[in-house]
Order: sequence, then C-alpha cells, then structure tokens
Amino acid sequence: MLSVEHVSKAFAGVQALDDVSVEIGINEVVGLVGENGAGKSTLMRILAGVYVPDHGSLKLDGGPIFLKSPRDANLNGIGIVFQEQSLLLNLTVGENIYLGQEAEFTRLGLVNRRRLYAAARRQLAKVEVDIDPRTRTSELSFAARQMVELAKALALEERTERHLVILLDEPTSVLEQRDIDILFARVRALKQRASFVFVSHRLDEILALSDRIYVMKDGRVVGEMQAGTTTVPRLHQMMVGRDRHAEYYRESRQQAPREEIVMQARGLSVKGAYKEVDFVLHKGEVLGIAGVVGSGREELTRTLFGFVPQTGGTLQIDGHDVRLTVPSQASDHGVGYIPRERRTEGLVLSLPIAVNMTLSSLPVNRITGAISLGRERQLAKKWVDKLHIRTPSVEALCLNLSGGNQQKVVLAKWMNARAHILIFDHPTRGLDVGAKEEVYELIRDLSEEGAAIVLTADTLEETIGLCHSILVMRDGQVTARFDAAQGRKPSQVDLIRYMV
Amino acid sequence: MEPQIGHPSADSGTSQIRSPERRDRNVKRSLGRLKPYAPFFALIALSLVIGTMNPRFFEFNNLIRVANSAAIPLVLALGMTFVIVLGSIDLSVEGVLAIGAVLISLLVRNNGNANDLGWFGVVLAILACGAIGCLNGVIHVGLRIPSFMVTLGMWFIGVGVATLLLGGSTVRVLDKEIRSLALDRPLGLFPIAVWVALGALGITWVIERRTRIGRYIYAIGGGEDLAALSGIPVQRVKIIVFTIAGTLYGLGGLLAAAQLGQGNALIGSGRLFSTVTAVVVGGTALTGGEGGVLNTLVGVMIMAVLGNGMVLLGISPDLQQGVQGILIIVAVALSLDRARLKIVK
Amino acid sequence: MNPPNKDISGIPIPRRTFIRRTAALAGATAVMSIAPRRAFAAGTPTVVNSIRSLSNPYHATWNQGGQAFAKSIDADYVTLVTEGDSEKGIADIRAILAKTGGNMVLNVDPNDSPDARPIVEACVKAGAYVTTQWNKPADLHPWDFNPNYVAHIAFDGVTYGEDTGNALIKAIGGSGGIVALGGILSNTPAIERKTGLEKALKANPNVKLLDFQVANWKSTEAFNIVSAWLTRFGDDIKGIWAANDDMAVGTLEALRAEKLAGKVPVTGIDGIKTAIEAVRAGEFAATVSWDPYWQGSMGLSIAYAAKTGKIDPAKEPKEHREFYGTGVLITKENADEFYKTHIESEPKIDFNDYWGRVTGQIRQS
Repeated sequence: MLSVEHVSKAFAGVQALDDVSVEIGINEVVGLVGENGAGKSTLMRILAGVYVPDHGSLKLDGGPIFLKSPRDANLNGIGIVFQEQSLLLNLTVGENIYLGQEAEFTRLGLVNRRRLYAAARRQLAKVEVDIDPRTRTSELSFAARQMVELAKALALEERTERHLVILLDEPTSVLEQRDIDILFARVRALKQRASFVFVSHRLDEILALSDRIYVMKDGRVVGEMQAGTTTVPRLHQMMVGRDRHAEYYRESRQQAPREEIVMQARGLSVKGAYKEVDFVLHKGEVLGIAGVVGSGREELTRTLFGFVPQTGGTLQIDGHDVRLTVPSQASDHGVGYIPRERRTEGLVLSLPIAVNMTLSSLPVNRITGAISLGRERQLAKKWVDKLHIRTPSVEALCLNLSGGNQQKVVLAKWMNARAHILIFDHPTRGLDVGAKEEVYELIRDLSEEGAAIVLTADTLEETIGLCHSILVMRDGQVTARFDAAQGRKPSQVDLIRYMV
Repeated sequence: MEPQIGHPSADSGTSQIRSPERRDRNVKRSLGRLKPYAPFFALIALSLVIGTMNPRFFEFNNLIRVANSAAIPLVLALGMTFVIVLGSIDLSVEGVLAIGAVLISLLVRNNGNANDLGWFGVVLAILACGAIGCLNGVIHVGLRIPSFMVTLGMWFIGVGVATLLLGGSTVRVLDKEIRSLALDRPLGLFPIAVWVALGALGITWVIERRTRIGRYIYAIGGGEDLAALSGIPVQRVKIIVFTIAGTLYGLGGLLAAAQLGQGNALIGSGRLFSTVTAVVVGGTALTGGEGGVLNTLVGVMIMAVLGNGMVLLGISPDLQQGVQGILIIVAVALSLDRARLKIVK
Repeated sequence: MNPPNKDISGIPIPRRTFIRRTAALAGATAVMSIAPRRAFAAGTPTVVNSIRSLSNPYHATWNQGGQAFAKSIDADYVTLVTEGDSEKGIADIRAILAKTGGNMVLNVDPNDSPDARPIVEACVKAGAYVTTQWNKPADLHPWDFNPNYVAHIAFDGVTYGEDTGNALIKAIGGSGGIVALGGILSNTPAIERKTGLEKALKANPNVKLLDFQVANWKSTEAFNIVSAWLTRFGDDIKGIWAANDDMAVGTLEALRAEKLAGKVPVTGIDGIKTAIEAVRAGEFAATVSWDPYWQGSMGLSIAYAAKTGKIDPAKEPKEHREFYGTGVLITKENADEFYKTHIESEPKIDFNDYWGRVTGQIRQS
C-alpha cells in the first residue's frame, strides 16, 4: 500500500540511505532493525515528511506522493510517534492531540474548546486510556504521554481518506515492562485501523510485535523476512555481520575482585527514598543494583555521586567518611558518573570531543594557569584510540556522534580524571548491539585495571552477566544480596523474587 | 486487572514509598496548584497592607488614580506578553511608543504645524507602529537575527526618527478629543484611557484563549522545533506577534500623548524596564510558554499599587528603589517552579 | 547520519551575508550620532559641541546656538551626541581631535563629572581649546591647564531652587502646604536645587513641606506621584515645586486630570517652551531659563576667542575661568516678553560679550 522505492539520502557527504526499497502493507506491523547509523531513523523521517529523499520516490496505493513537510505526510495518512517525546509539556493533552489542526474547531477565528476536548476524548478512547484531555501534559508519566502520542497519530484517521500508517520510533526505550505490554496490546488491537512501522533496538520486542521485518545495515536493506521465521541471533548476525557470542557479557573475563575496599556504606538512608543500605565495594569489583522503579536504586545511585546527600548512615570512600552534597565533591574523591541521559547530563553536546573529555580535569599549565590546548588534544586522541571512538577528528562536536560513541566520550572524561570508582547508570540504554558489546568490553577492561564499578543496568540479564555481586532492592530497602561470580551466576527468577 | 496507565504516576526518579510520605506529597501538590496564583495573592496582600496603614488607599478617587497610572503600562505590557510567551524579547517599546506619540502629536491639531487629522491621524500613527512591529518580526525571522538584537536596534532607530521629526523639541497636542481620552471621565468613573486599556485587555485575552494564533504562541514558546513539526506556521506567528506588540505600543503612545498633552522623543524613557518587570512579576516566565495576559494584568496592578502605596505611606525616596528590587526578586522566586529547575542560570 | 541543522525556513543563510546585513544595520544606526556638515577645511578651526542628546528641547536649542555661532564666523560645525554613554562621549571627542589635528574648539556638557578630566587632558594634548559646562570634578580647574582649558560654566542650582521656591510661596499667598519633586538623588543640580528650596522654606515658616519625592527628572513619574499625593493630602496641597520642567509638566497634567490645573500653582526649572507657555497661561508660577542658546554659542565663542588670541585665559581672573552664568527667572511678569525674544525668534546674542553673564565664581567646596 505504501512503498519506498530506491530511495537515497546523503548528509554532508555521509550516505545515510543507499537505494532502499521497502513495502508496508495494509493492517500489518513492519519491524525495522539495524545498528545505530544503519539508516532506520533517516528512513522513518523520510516517511514522516521531515526529510526529502535525494533520489527515489514514495508511492501510496500505486500513485507517487511528494512529502515536503510533516503536514504533507499527515494528509497522506502517515503519522509518527517520536523516540524523544514530541508533546509540548506546557499545553494540555487535548491541545497537543490537535496541535496544528485546530481549524476544524474554529469558527470566526475562535476555537470552540468544548468540541476540541470532546474530540480529544474520542481519540484517547481509541487507545483505551483514561486521561482527562484537559490535563497539562507535564503532569503525565512517560507511559501516559506515549499513549497520548499514539492517540495523536490515530487522530489522523479522521483527516485523511488514505490508510493510516503509524511510525513508532523506539517507543519502548523509556518504558517499564508493564507499560510496554500495554503498548503492544494496543498496537495489536489497532492493527485493524492502521499499519505500523516499528523501530526498536530490542530484538525480542521486534519479534514479538512485528509481522514482517526489514534489517538494515550501513544504509541498505540487507534482509526481509516474516517474523515467525527468524530468531534473535539470526537478526543480530545480519545486523552486525557476525555471530552473537555466547560470550555476550564477556563472562570469561570476569576475575575475582581485589581485597582493597574503596567504598563502604553502613545504614545509608535518604528520607523518603531508601533506608538501611549496607554494602562493600572492592577494587576491581562490579556491583550491580537491581530493582524496579520505586525501589530506591535510582536515588541510591545518585547519593553516591553527590546529587542527593544521605540523611542518615555513613558512606566511606577510601576509608574516609564522606557526605557528598555536590557532584564536584564526589569527583574530587575520584568518583565518576556515566548518566543515563548522556545527551543532557553527560556531555555538553555543542562542544567538541576534546573539550568534553577534559571537562573534569583540565590540562592546566602549572605556571600560567592557562589550559594547554595541545595537551588536551593529545589526551583526546589517546582516548579516541583506546576506546575506538568513531569520529573524523577530536574537534568534532559531540552532538554529531552516535549514541554509543557519545557514551564513550563520557567514559573517557572520567577515565581522564582518574576516577577509580565509576557509577554506570543505564549505560547501554538506546545503544545498538554492537555498541553494547563495546561497553561490556570496556567494563571488563576497567575492572581489570582496578576500577570499581557500581552498575544500574537496563535489564536483569545485563546485571547478572556483568556483575560480581548484586544488591536487590524493593521499596527502599535491600532485600537480597547475590554473589554472581563466574560460573555461579544466579538466574533472573532468583532475583525477581526479591524485587516485586 | 488491567494496569492503569492513565493516572499521573511518578516520573523516573521519585519513588513510591507509602503512607505518611504520600500524604506529604499530596499536600505539596495542592500547594503547588496554588503557585500560579501567587502574584494575585501578593497583590491582594499588598493592597490590604497599604490600605490598613493608610485607609485613603481604598477611596474611590484613589482607586481611579491607581487605575489611571496603570493604563499605559498595561497596554504596553500586553504587547510584550505575547512576545515573551513566544520565547523572545522586545526591547523596542520606548522607540515605537515615541514614534506613536510623536506622529500623533504631529498629525492631530498641535502647536507645531497646521495638521488637524484627528482620529484619522491616530489610526495612521498606530498603523505605522504596527508596521514597525511587523518589521521587527520580519527581520528577526527572515534574517535570523535574535529578537534581542533586532528590537534593540529598532529602539534606537525609533527614538532617532522621533528626534528627527521634532528636531529635538516637544510639540503640544491641542486636539480636545484626543486629550479627552485622559481628561474625560464618562459616568464619573474611569478616564476613557482606562477603558481603552481594558478593551485591549479583552481583545488580547480572546486572542490568547480562543484563537489558533494564541495557541500557537504557547506551542512555539513551549518547544519551537516540536511546534514546527506539528505543522504550525512558526514564522508567520512570530511576525504577527511582533506586529501586535507594535500596534499596542502605538496605542500606548496615543494614551501617553493624551495624558501628557505632548509628544516628544523621550516620552517612553524608562518604560522598557517597567514593562518587562510587570510581565515577569505577573508570573509570565521569560523562558516562554507560560503565563498570559491575566498574569500581566496582575503584574501591572502590583506595580501601580506599589507606586501609589509608597507615596501614600510616605516612604523615603531613597528606599523606594530598593523596595522595587525586592519586589522583583520575591515575585520571581515565588512563581518559578524551582523544584523542576535543576540548573539555575 | 549527521543531519545538518535544518532551520525552520529551510533556507541556509551564508555567514558572510549575515555579517554584511548586520553590519549595514549597525552602521545605519551609528550614522545617527555624528552629523558633520561639510568637509573639514584646513585653516579655520572647527567648532564642536558635545551634548547628551538632540532628543530634548534643551539640548536642541543648545545646538541651534552653536550653529548660529559657527555661521557667524563661517566655520565648520560638528555636533557630538553622547546618548548618556560616557565612553562614547570621550571616544567621539578623541576621534574629532584626531581628525582636525587639534585645530578646533570644543564646548562640552560632559555626561558625568569624571568625564571632564579625560576630555580636558585630550584637548590639551592635541592643542585644542575647550570650555566645559555643568559637570566637572571639584579638583579640576581651568587655571591648571593654561591656555587650553579656557573656562567652566555652571549655574547655581541653589539660587534658582530658592528663586522658584520663593515664586511658588508668593503664588500661594505666603502660607499653606506644598509638596516637592526632586531629580535623580545623586545629581548635583538635584541636590543644589533642593538646598535652594529648603532655604526658601526656612525663610517662610508659614509654609510647610508636606512631602518630598523623587521623580528622576521624568514627567511620567511625576504624574504618578502627584496623583498619589492628591489622595494622601487632597486639598492641603496649595502648590507643587518641581526641580525641572519635565517633572513640572507631568505634575500639571496630573492636576489637569483632576481639574486642578491653574488652581494649584506649579514651578519648574529649565525654561522649555512648554513651561514658558504654561507660565503665560497662569498654570505655572515660574520657571528658570538657562538660555541654552547662549550656552551652546557662548561656550564656543569664549573658547574660540582664546584660540584666536582675542583673550588670554592666563590673564583672566578666576571669576572668568569658573563661573556661574545667569539664569532668567520667568514669571507672569516677564513671560510674554521672554517668549517673544527667545522662543518665537532666535535670540540675539552678542558673541563678543564674553563675561556679560558672569554672576560670580563657582563656590569651591
């Protein structure tokens, strides 16, 4: 019904799409997989009317269509639900759903708000969600907002004669499992009304939801298959061109931690978040903290880096009692933090790689106090090589890097500052398989060199695979401790019992 | 049982510890809902304090005087409000006001030339000011020059042209009808100027709440990229907003010329600061996307009440500037959602 | 993979075009400030006036005086405008000194007292002759910079504050309550004029000062303060004293809005056209004219006389080097006459009468 034919697109000399052809049929869910930089995002944006292809064409029901703007796409029945939320937080839900489309409710220049909100309620009913459209969007949770975005895309139904195609761009990255299930249920229910194109890094999700799957690599389509006929490893192989190791988490590299204690907590509490947390962290150890949202693990992590100082108990770093009230104090004690929102919390995107890497420890001339730019560049080059960061130069701006490479720059920043305790907060979120594996390698490298790591991971699988020991938290308290030495790893079931 | 997505659950980072803490949070949330009304409560509180210390504050004649002193600032601040909600800033108030007042003074019956165009002259002048606002918008949008710079330049150009037109001197307005805007009080109530300001308030309120343009202003202020992706004609909206602002400044020029009975290039001197202050004190955020004309009304009233009150209470001139400074800081501190701001610049 | 910044309009603006366009905009604005008349002729010295702005009647008349003088000696005339920016004022003067090679005379109303010193020093260095007016530091004296720093002219705020105070007291019949509006608290004229008013009040114990407020020389501020005063004091206000005409005009309009114009006398200082008309109409009790036409022309004339050797500053008494000029108190008695000679026509000034308006040497504080 909707087809992309021999489309190519280049940006500043980089070929994002190269002769790509894709078909989307009526009432089907098409999955789109590929590593970062494979071209999925570009393809989605071409379908959404955000970009115009350099070559090739789009056809709808056999006839060519030219999408010069998102509005054109909307008129042709194509709507997109972005990965980074595209709702305006200062407007109400109803206003967001009909943003730009208020004309149908307007007479004599005045908007009839009652009719608009009634219509909004109808759209929300399609996704079976109970939200008052007069609610300010900023008051909703991520999951609720996702549903509103879906409702907004579905609202197109009434504006177009065409079949509806809804593009879902990584909708699950910020959702908890429970919400993901709900989303999938809705999508399946809505298949009668619309086709979906679903992009995700989580291959198991792709397989669960899609009817048909396209695999992209380096701007080309390298595979197309029915979802039922393939498996995750096969997809992985097509995406990266190599087999997924049984050694995904490099477990064979896990060595016993050293004797030396670098961080210790006794009775650590933050009022309203968690209490009575004890743990010991050794040199070279990877300590994982498992728990659902609300377990207190997020706040614990943030206490360790000085965002939220403890209200009770003690924390010791290298034997000294500390109470970290600002991150700079943590940094002075040799603690580094790799945040989950690297775009906003880890890097200054508008600055070059070299500058970001030295943010926490500027190479300063001892006599004049001036920053030594030459040394800075040298340091940057060293880390770029060591961490295999893909970039044309160390002067390139961080905002131009892919997610995985940005993550590495953040890591380099702390390694440059000689942090010996590193806190990883969801380090592989939003990264493709290849980039994830590189992060796992790095964690092993760091561990070998003696750095101690506190890891809050995306999945239980990751936690179990990477860590030496695991703390399980629930409702603000530690409910279990596991030893996850190589060869003696607990199972997910073991952990879950103490998490919920 | 289907898990509910609908109800507002915690964002990532805040945990769901039960019982006493949850009750605490509910109280905080109710207080939070009152936050947008803080400027209004401040206005009431201020009025009560002043009125208690000098009951003459509540005299009918005084309330009229307060309203009168608020008329011009309100008209100017209404124009500025939309610009600020958009996320921009308009520094050209004083220049456009000057052009408006000077043009009106020269076109209606005056003591400098033989013109006597009456209301037609007024319309021409206000249209000219709207055109200047439009020019602000077009340069800002077309040449992609930040609004700060464009309007800064237009400020000086405005004052400069006003100076050129008058050769630096002042011209007196002799047209009785124009003057009646300030001097006549229909039904013994407010001077016509106050009604004009209220009319402007009504119109801008309708624009803000009931028109698409009003909605788009907030959308752009809340997230320009997202707004553009939703098909909103961002450029057109911006130009319209600046044009509205220019028109309102021109209207302010009319009221100023009527009030002082003259036009000169410096008639707007000092108004930029008081206009922006009134908008901010009323609760409209400089970052855009929040606030509105009713907020601005409250802000303007606070400034007018304070000005009147300080004289009624005989506060020493030395202290008055300090008081105004404290006012600004307190007002902004109360209205900002500081819990949400991790970074404060 | 790396999408370019896609701007909303979709049109990328080349950087050079942007810079060119901004420069043009800035240049157009900059042209406003300096208005040279003709190409600089070698030989005849250029005469230069430096004032705050051309946007107010006072300085506009000052400028007219300067033009008249320049015309009378057939010299090139330049007006420099500081727009309240000290740095700009000093920089512009340095620029014109360089351009004329020091072959010029300068009559300057410095933006702020400290500015006078660098201005004088620059003129001395370039060999130009300079007269300063109104603002200078107390320890900067023309006789320390012979012969280039010719004279400093000011007007005694105390005298005229007192004169207008007395005129107001007379207008209200010698007793009753008055209120007073002052200028920017830290300005010398504001302080001096207030002192003068206080002297007048002291001599008239039957007159009470109900309140003193600061309206920062602005008519709109005066308007709002007077409105509030009417609430506070009502009929007790018999007269209103203002430290300058702009504030007095605002005062008058506030009274007019309450139908009190002409019933409550007002005084101002500066002698602008509107004020003199108000005196004629009986709405102002008095104002004082500095005769900015005289200031703008004679300041140049005195310096020019020194440059051409007609006078030798070193030989002139201190009373001619730092002196108070003459302000004219305008009341109903002389308003009509003054209007005819000074407003309706360009005043006739004898440019050779250098010391005719000297009323005394400036007080050394």
